[in-house]
Amino acid sequence: MTDTGALRRTALYDAHLALGARMVPFGGFEMPVQYTGILAEHDAVRKRAGLFDLSHMGQIELHGADVGAWAETVTINTVANMKPGQARYNVFTNDAGGALDDVIFYRLDEQRWLLVVNASNVEKIWNYIGTLRYGDVEFHNYHGERALIAIQGPRSVEWLQPYVEADLAALKYYGCVGTRVRGLADPVLVARTGYTGEDGFELFLPGEDATGVWDLLLAENREAGLMACGLGARDVLRLEAGMPLYGNELTETITPLQAGIGWAIKFQKPAFRGKDALLAQRDANDYPRIVGVVMDGPVPARSGYAVFANGERVGTVRSGSTGPSVGKNVATALVAPSAAAEGTVLEIEVRGARHPARVVALPFYTRPKA
Amino acid sequence: MADTLPAGLRYSKEHEWVALDGDVATVGITDYAQSSLGDIVYVELPRVGGTLTQFANIGVVESVKAVSDIFTPIGGEVVGVNEAIEADPALVNRDPYGEGWLFKVKLADVGQLDELMAAVAYEQLISEA
Repeated sequence: MTDTGALRRTALYDAHLALGARMVPFGGFEMPVQYTGILAEHDAVRKRAGLFDLSHMGQIELHGADVGAWAETVTINTVANMKPGQARYNVFTNDAGGALDDVIFYRLDEQRWLLVVNASNVEKIWNYIGTLRYGDVEFHNYHGERALIAIQGPRSVEWLQPYVEADLAALKYYGCVGTRVRGLADPVLVARTGYTGEDGFELFLPGEDATGVWDLLLAENREAGLMACGLGARDVLRLEAGMPLYGNELTETITPLQAGIGWAIKFQKPAFRGKDALLAQRDANDYPRIVGVVMDGPVPARSGYAVFANGERVGTVRSGSTGPSVGKNVATALVAPSAAAEGTVLEIEVRGARHPARVVALPFYTRPKA
Repeated sequence: MADTLPAGLRYSKEHEWVALDGDVATVGITDYAQSSLGDIVYVELPRVGGTLTQFANIGVVESVKAVSDIFTPIGGEVVGVNEAIEADPALVNRDPYGEGWLFKVKLADVGQLDELMAAVAYEQLISEA
């Protein structure tokens, strides 16, 4: 974070206060961490649906004939072969293969992409791409100007569809479409993406339209169980779903391979920043890696706690929380390869005492098939 | 919230309460504290038989997101802990002044209570927070 000035507010700030949200600084913004309570909000998303304000996240548009080719030289995944209406997860890497940020590219049409970056990395990524002059590529930063509302949970299609012209059920996972939203003059980008492990949609819209959409969705569906959800619930949901959080599982010194998202690295691409380092890391296969950890007992593991196997220090907890959908306390840890196999018995040091835990496969939670 | 503060209790700056019955004090966290913490998922209590020093850090309350220290508002020998909150930590959220009590201390020195606040002063403290 390079932000040193006053905290910014999203277009939905007053709506959050009206709902009694507890606001915290996050990514340079005052954001709701919870409204009614993290567990109740988590439960709403798993069983019904929740509404999130993610307007603090960076929205950058990339225009030009060379965007695809350019982006592929600085990220691990492919971009150029995306079709309009597709979204794709990706990571900007440094020369060591470390992650500058994990992002999603949305291809809007032949020559326009939307790039969504983590709030805490907007300035870094904006400055970084600005130094990478390349052919016909232009950048437009809409951070803080455009809003982002997510509806996540099994009833998302049912509750969002009445306001949206496009057929939401027909939209594929990681698909996006520009469509009309009731009451709004301009088309809105609606994407079937999210960070909760549930079905759901993200709506990218002008800041001035955000409160109308937010209030309407809540007013119409609150009685049926739609809840406003804060960043606290979002973090538990994404951890259970095994999704990395930048700064925890993925950092400038924790590569995508280490974070367990090697599937997103396309080594067949001719060259991209960090490729050599990632290839060497892959081939040596001796790197510390992120694993899922379940605590046997009632004590939650927390970021920074020491991890032991057979009495030896083998790593460190990177995220930890109660896992309501798992029924146990869950964590991620960066551990030596010798301690990374599923079923490995670990001990987590909590306030001087060691507590038993086990390595399990990620994700902790997979949503039931519809 | 302030209008629900039980009057007979003493309160600490760290948002714990003490109820005295003879020379045994029951300790818990205040409604303000549980509400600030959010959903409580784990409480680490002192051992029965142990001796606590007033205002020492003697345990933790963990919410979904955070670990918070418990500073005992009173010193003495621990003569009981609330075992019900091991199975159901959310008791502390639901009933902080009742079923959600944390532990009982046999008071070393009743004068310690003078270091704590009455309800009026504590109300003042949280209204300024």
